[in-house]
This record gives sequence, C-alpha cells and structure tokens, in this order.
Amino acid sequence: MDDRDLVGRARRGDREAFTQLIVQYQVPLYNMALRMVGGPDDAADIAQEAFLRAWEKIRTLRDAPFKSWLFQIAANLCYDHFRRVRRYGVMPDEDQTGNVVGLGIATPDPQERAEASERNQLVRESIEALEHDMRIAIILRDVNGLAYDEIARVLRVPLGTVKSRIARARAQVQERLQQHPDLFPTSSAQKDAHAE
Amino acid sequence: MPSKPRIPTEPTLEELSAYLDHELDAGAQARVADHVAGCAECRTRLDGLRQTAYAIRALPMATPARAFTIPAQRRQASRWAPAGWIGGVAAALLIVIVGVNQLHVHGPGAASSTSALSGGPAGGANGHAAPATQYFAPDRGVGAASKAVYVNATTVVDPRDASRTLTVSTDARTYPSNGTLAVQVQVGGLASNETTVVRLLLERNGYAVELPTGSQGSGSAAGFQAGYALANLPLSSPVSGSYTLTAIEQLPGGSGATLVARLPITISG
Repeated sequence: MDDRDLVGRARRGDREAFTQLIVQYQVPLYNMALRMVGGPDDAADIAQEAFLRAWEKIRTLRDAPFKSWLFQIAANLCYDHFRRVRRYGVMPDEDQTGNVVGLGIATPDPQERAEASERNQLVRESIEALEHDMRIAIILRDVNGLAYDEIARVLRVPLGTVKSRIARARAQVQERLQQHPDLFPTSSAQKDAHAE
Repeated sequence: MPSKPRIPTEPTLEELSAYLDHELDAGAQARVADHVAGCAECRTRLDGLRQTAYAIRALPMATPARAFTIPAQRRQASRWAPAGWIGGVAAALLIVIVGVNQLHVHGPGAASSTSALSGGPAGGANGHAAPATQYFAPDRGVGAASKAVYVNATTVVDPRDASRTLTVSTDARTYPSNGTLAVQVQVGGLASNETTVVRLLLERNGYAVELPTGSQGSGSAAGFQAGYALANLPLSSPVSGSYTLTAIEQLPGGSGATLVARLPITISG
C-alpha cells in the first residue's frame, strides 16, 4: 500500500494506517535526526515528536507528499533543538555505538571492523562539523537519499540553493576526510598504489 | 589552421556534485560528461566528491532504541520539550511510552526512573488502549509486566561457572501479528560489583530485529522485563512464521565469553 492510501486513511482517523506510516519512516527519520543532532536520545525525541505532530496535523495535509512533509516537520524540530542548545548550552555527548543495524554484512576481520568503525566515526564528525543548513542538505541527500526537488520542498528553499549546499557540504567533508589518507586514500593515491 | 578540439567549459563545484546525483538537465549532464572525459583535474575532483558521498552513504543505519507511537487520543496543543531536559514533564506531555529505555542500573537497590505502568502487555487499564509499544522497568516489582505469566522459558548455564546463568522467558509461545511480546530476561550469578549487557534479537532465516532493552544490571537479581508490539517491529513479510528470540549476554571480565539463550516463538497471521 502506498503513502497516499495510508495518508488518506490516517486523515480519516485510522490509527493503524498511521502506524504503518511510522513503521515505514521511523528508521530514515530517526537517522536523519541522529546525523543532525548527534545524540540518540535527542534524535529519538525528535522523531517521536515529528510523528506526533504529523498525526495531529495530518488532516491539513492536502497534495504535498507525506514524506517531504514529515521530514520538514523533523527538520524544523532539529533547528528548534539547535536553538535550545545554543540558548541553554551543549548537552552531554551521547553514546553513539548502540543499535546499529549490521544485518547481512560480513566483516570477518577484526582489523577491518576496527578501521570501518574509525572511518564511520570520522565521517560522522565531519558531518557534525558542518554548518546546520549544509548539514541537513547533505544528510537528506546522502543519508536519506532524497532527490533535490524533495530536499527543496523539505527545506523550503530554491533548487539552486539545494544544489549549492550539497556541493559545499561535500567539499567540506571531503577536505576533512582527506586529512586522514590512511583511512581515506585519494583516488590518485589508490591508482599510484595499484600501479606499483 | 586546424582548430583545437572544443573543451566544454569547466564545470563548477555545484555542477560536478549535481552531475554525480544525475540532477542536472540533460544538456548540462552531457556537457559535464564531455568535459570530465577530457580533463584529468576535473575527474579527480569528481572522484573526490564521489568518494565523499559514498563514505556518507556507507554509514550504517541505526535503529532507534525505542518504538515511536501515537497517543490513543489526539493531544491538546502543547509546547514540546525534549525528555532529556525535563524528562518527567515531557513524558507526561507526550503521553507515549512510559517506562525505561536504555536503563543503566547499578545494583539491586538502584531506583528505577520509570513511571508505574497502567497497562500490561495485554492491554491498558482504565479503558485506554495501551500504547503500541511499552518498555517496562527492570524486574524490581514495579510495572504491569510483572503481572505477565512467563510460560515459555529457556536457561543456559556458563560451563565454567555454573552459578552464571541466562534465562529468557516469554508469556506465550504463539503470538498474533498484532500482539505484544512480553519478555523477561534474568541474569544469574553476577557479583554486586559486576555489570553486564544483554541484547535481544528476534530472528528468522538469518534476518534479525534487535529489540531495545533496559539491559544493564548488576547483582544477583539482574534482569528486565519488556513488552514489544509486534506490529511495530520491522519484521520481514510475511510476518507469520517461526522465530527465535535470542538473548546474548556478554559475560563480565572482558574475556569475550558470551551466553546465548534461544527461545522459539511463533507469530501467527
């Protein structure tokens, strides 16, 4: 069943239909929030609140796609979160290690696993170092896989702005990753290594 | 004089990035492709952007440590505040999961931070529908989960130290796909200064869903009880079938030794 059917039923007060929408979007929405705010508890709070607000307001949703609308709610909550943190101070760091889905991926070598973990940590830090507008753009694109027009709808900005933010964000992340050639060798270095 | 082959204008950073995502119009996509084919420097720039995008996409997707629910009744307009800041108040406002998630309990006497539950796995009290998923407190005698009768159980014993045990129990062997799975995990043989972590997986045919747990405890009576709304779990279709509920306890001491308790359950259509 596609979103439109479920949204139609949810608009008529069908909780079961909305629960199916939650099941469908809980992981991508949570991961968007997690990559934005960093802490799993804050991310879960944001995702929970986004679903609650969506449920309360779903009658107002007309022709806009549910997915963009839901992510827009969550994006606004992320910005609310940043405003609160700026006002009240930084929250303690959260453990990032739990509840990672690794199903079906075999990483037999402990050293490989350790390196992958180090790479992922560096990527997370590089994303977190981005300014918020760039951060959310690159997350919606590269974590959530949204198309540019969907991102423009979520962020309510022109397509050109989306393009620019994603490009600048990627360039900044790339710059940080390239400071660790042991973990992220450049393609030219890889070619050199293969040639040897 | 022969004319030099025309090299299309060097693409901007924005164009290269959008090219990577196939987000340029057909003309621009072709122009960038032409240029990149003849320009080593731009190929390198493009490779760098591609590697970066792949590195981000390779981040593992995390599963939330709790399920998301909607209240039985639409709430009145309220200002949101994160639970981490004013936990109890936020919990009351949200009217969602009451209970414990990611508990860190250190010692049998540790106070639980949970509210007493008004509904057990089978349904809510006071005529209200139970939230879709509830996480119950560790077994300290609070919470309606303690009212469940755990009829389906298995225990494994550490072969090197028979006092160390791991028991996983459920309140039924068969559940409807919209039912609530009540689980009790008991860890035996821990010293009062030892802590442990128990993970729970619901698995079938190599695919597993990790169930969030209030899984840390210490002392001889460590353990927890929890209820999981099956409809909210990302189980593969068809949902009905035979599953294994697996509890995994990493034994203290850092040796890597692990107890694994497996309990078959069935989900019916």
